[in-house]
Amino acid sequence: MDATVKSHFTAKEEHAPAKSFVFWRPTAKTGLVSWLTTVDHKRIGFLYGLFALFFFLVGGSEALMIRLQLMVPNNNVLTAIQYNQMFTMHGTTMIFLAVMPLGAAFFNIIMPLQIGARDVAFPRLNAFSLWTFVAGAIIVNIGWFLPDGPPITSWVGYAPLTSKLYHPSHSTDFWVLGLQLLGVASIAAALNFIVTIINLRAPGMTMMRLPVFTWMTLVTSFLIILSFPAITIALVEVMMDRQFGTNFFEVSNGGMPILWQHLFWIFGHPEVYILILPAMGIISEILPTFSRKPLFGYPIVVFSGACIGFLGFTVWSHHMFTTGMGTVATAAFSLATMAIAVPTGVKIFNWIGTLWGGHLRMRTPMMFALGFIWMFMIGGFSGVMHAAAPADAQQQDSYFVIAHFHYVLIGGSIFALLAGIHYWFPLIVGRQVSDFWGKLSFWVIFVGFNVTFFPMHFLGLNGMPRRTFTYDGNLGWNTANFIATIGAMILGVGIAIYFGVMIYTYFKGTRVGRDPWDGRTLEWSLPNPPPEYNYHVIPTVHARDAYWYEKHHREEIAKETAEHRKEDEAHGGLHMPHQSIYPLVASTGALIGAFGACYHDFAVAITGGIVLLAGIYLWSLEGNEGYHLHLDEAGRPIEDPHAKH
Amino acid sequence: MRLYSLLPHFTRWGRAAVLAGATLLLTGCDLNFWRMDGHQSTIVVNGPVARSQLDVFYTTVAVTMVIFVIVGSVLAYATLKFRAKSSEDEHAEPPEQGHGNPLIELSLIGASVMALVIIAIPTLKAIWFTYDVPAEEKANAYEVNATGLQWWFRFDYPNEQINGVGPLTTSNELVIPAGRPIRINLRSNDVIHSFWVPKLAGKVDMIPNRGNFIWLQADEPGYFWGQCAEYCGESHAVMRFRVIALGPREFNEWVGRQMEPARTVKDTGDQPKAQFASYRTDWKRNEKGYSGKFDLNPLDAWRAHQEPEKHENAALIAKGKELFQAKTCFSCHVIRGHMVGGSSAYPDLTHVGARTTIAAGLLENNPEQLARWITHPNEVKPGNKMYVNGYLANNIQLTPDDVSALVAYLSSLK
Repeated sequence: MDATVKSHFTAKEEHAPAKSFVFWRPTAKTGLVSWLTTVDHKRIGFLYGLFALFFFLVGGSEALMIRLQLMVPNNNVLTAIQYNQMFTMHGTTMIFLAVMPLGAAFFNIIMPLQIGARDVAFPRLNAFSLWTFVAGAIIVNIGWFLPDGPPITSWVGYAPLTSKLYHPSHSTDFWVLGLQLLGVASIAAALNFIVTIINLRAPGMTMMRLPVFTWMTLVTSFLIILSFPAITIALVEVMMDRQFGTNFFEVSNGGMPILWQHLFWIFGHPEVYILILPAMGIISEILPTFSRKPLFGYPIVVFSGACIGFLGFTVWSHHMFTTGMGTVATAAFSLATMAIAVPTGVKIFNWIGTLWGGHLRMRTPMMFALGFIWMFMIGGFSGVMHAAAPADAQQQDSYFVIAHFHYVLIGGSIFALLAGIHYWFPLIVGRQVSDFWGKLSFWVIFVGFNVTFFPMHFLGLNGMPRRTFTYDGNLGWNTANFIATIGAMILGVGIAIYFGVMIYTYFKGTRVGRDPWDGRTLEWSLPNPPPEYNYHVIPTVHARDAYWYEKHHREEIAKETAEHRKEDEAHGGLHMPHQSIYPLVASTGALIGAFGACYHDFAVAITGGIVLLAGIYLWSLEGNEGYHLHLDEAGRPIEDPHAKH
Repeated sequence: MRLYSLLPHFTRWGRAAVLAGATLLLTGCDLNFWRMDGHQSTIVVNGPVARSQLDVFYTTVAVTMVIFVIVGSVLAYATLKFRAKSSEDEHAEPPEQGHGNPLIELSLIGASVMALVIIAIPTLKAIWFTYDVPAEEKANAYEVNATGLQWWFRFDYPNEQINGVGPLTTSNELVIPAGRPIRINLRSNDVIHSFWVPKLAGKVDMIPNRGNFIWLQADEPGYFWGQCAEYCGESHAVMRFRVIALGPREFNEWVGRQMEPARTVKDTGDQPKAQFASYRTDWKRNEKGYSGKFDLNPLDAWRAHQEPEKHENAALIAKGKELFQAKTCFSCHVIRGHMVGGSSAYPDLTHVGARTTIAAGLLENNPEQLARWITHPNEVKPGNKMYVNGYLANNIQLTPDDVSALVAYLSSLK
């Protein structure tokens, strides 16, 4: 048996001397405190999901305001500044506060279950990631409550627009520091996932038996830890320019605005794959389950995912084809970008191969997954058009690009995430969404999405630049803009149905038992919702679709489980960690510090820093206390004579 | 084949309602946008650079369309063919648990690479062609400097030096010779802008502290719409410009007129007094600033703008000139030959009357729009420097008569 899975704690540690009140470890299993101090990956993931969906709705409302303004030429719903604020916050919110954390929610909830682990490797660090994400989200959105409103620098924040000369308002400082905090949260979470996947796999779960979603979690996590340093540096430089008058991007002192673009896109392009690879992972789980056969060409799907992740670092300048890079650089980035189409195409071929010869059950998750393939194909093709640099010279920063990246981000990422919510909802909540309402929401979203974004291809080719708060009526853009706005409203209705049904189902939906979809991966072997400890006996994996194998070899597995349970019991039962207040304390310190730094109030900034450091210090001192559970063969708790509660 | 399993189980009335709604939506709109033949079209183009870029685009469209049809058909076929048609299907023994077919997978990879090569070759050719003026045309190329500023464009003609002044300078309307390559040096003094005339060439950015350039050529004389394509702050959306391509003779005549100092209208003596006109004052924010007939033949409209008005009121124009000085307009705007002042950081107005548009390609250049621009700068172009904290810079107050005189003066600067 793999030693890393075994608890290293012996029964002795439970009887460690009682510590002072500073090291208070909450034990409540319900109530507010239990949520604020939780270290359970499922609860943390659930909170990630709730915050992400909240910001998804915020970003969606901003999008509707944008479409309302552009519904007719020379419109006056928003002023120029308000419009610019809307698209700045729409981009920032959707990317950093909606799609990324929604991916993180799935990583948190699903990945440990898929590899047969009881939690992530560092549960408290996981909680710290969550609360730092919340702190970053608050800081980014502070602008709404300032007199000047949120920043108008666009989500890419191209220097020198972000300099104090052009935007003296503090909202830009908040934006900079908020993104910085979000980066800390993402890197901490990514490190956690990497360690978890490398070290906490159940015995027999070799790398080439990992579910594809877990593989994509791993690749995405590596992308995060490798790409975020670039934007961290860029944001530090902007912060230095703004706060201390340094000279990274200040034009009048010879600063180089182009530097920002390189740093931003060295982060920004891998970021695109940070948004889409989890989606591809989800699709690679749903299609086999609903086709009732294994993923076609698993090794090549995994390899192409890793390949996309790697190539993602070689193409950043295709966002900069118009910056005058010269022929050789343009050609190199153009070819590298085309090369990415190959592993991406491979995935689509293999998904179709998965469908081929299957028994396709057209449930809601499958509908979203098929919708994903179609929409992602269209987005991929317009992506190839951008890869051809000369064509991109016309398309760059036009509505054609808007169409392209909404096809890959909504048609791609969001469709897959919506599919994933439907797919794993019964596992997480124990209730199942009605197929009628699920499919209805799918069709309304699908139609609304296409009506919104397909006309934008025409707008872009007809010369409409993006980030424009108004346009004249004599340029041939009126009809397409009007249709797009109607589409956005349909899309809004679809999203409203989707979430309305989700909320209803959460409280009132039909209960379902274990494994409602006839699943193939380990998470479906758990009762729903899964218990806090996930697996009462760590499973042993014998095949790629581990649970499918279990279902077809029940006797063998039952015998094995009974043996392993005895071994566990001999080691003192199942160790569970205590909850901890310090992740929340440390994140609160970061929040306070960021406030102080934005306002140049060093007393507050230093106080925040001290709270942050104190939180981390005390957290490392509070020890890895916990308690042991003793479970019988069916997973029911049994009385333990040594237990200390 | 029953497709209903794909759809939510609507009642018959529900399905009818969806169909009716979709039909209404589709027929209710004037669906002509797919023609993409607007003033800023990248599809209906007028120059070799834009054409080369369009050809690459068409290549990508052709290749991706073929792939889309093939892959899409297979996907659609697989979806329909292997769909579980009944609940017995769903609960039947699972299908064969195949894990893939390396031969198929590898050959598909090979096919994708081949498809990309078809795109890559013309792409590479076009990258080199569109980058700079072809070597054999270099000697014939005409050079212009374009500078982006928040939120307008300045154009300098280094070949046309005016004694004691420097190169010929104009703003927001770039006049070029047709049929000849133009090499434009792109500069910026504040934030990043981007120079984009879709019908002539794709965009190249104007980046501070970086020397970019673009080349383009207009096949025929024509009037082309351009727009800043890189988000550059509050009024980015209304930072526009025009390119006017003229035959060689007409171009030289234009240069000749532009080299002259500002025009002075002689008082012929038969006009007794300044006749003040009154202009609309109830302009809404962001209201449109052009008339429909202007679009019909913009090049002729431009030519008409080169000629002085028929009934110029010399006294009124003289009053306007006085006001231009008295109200400190001259401290920013150059009117070469009339007064000393101004700088290149603000639009040169020496021949503003000969332009078809004002406010950076946003408003049609006619007295009404001029009056609107002077009196409502912030409603036209929010955040612009003519408007600082409440009203015009230097706290300028203008009566309706002042406006009328200023409009007459600026219009006379042909």
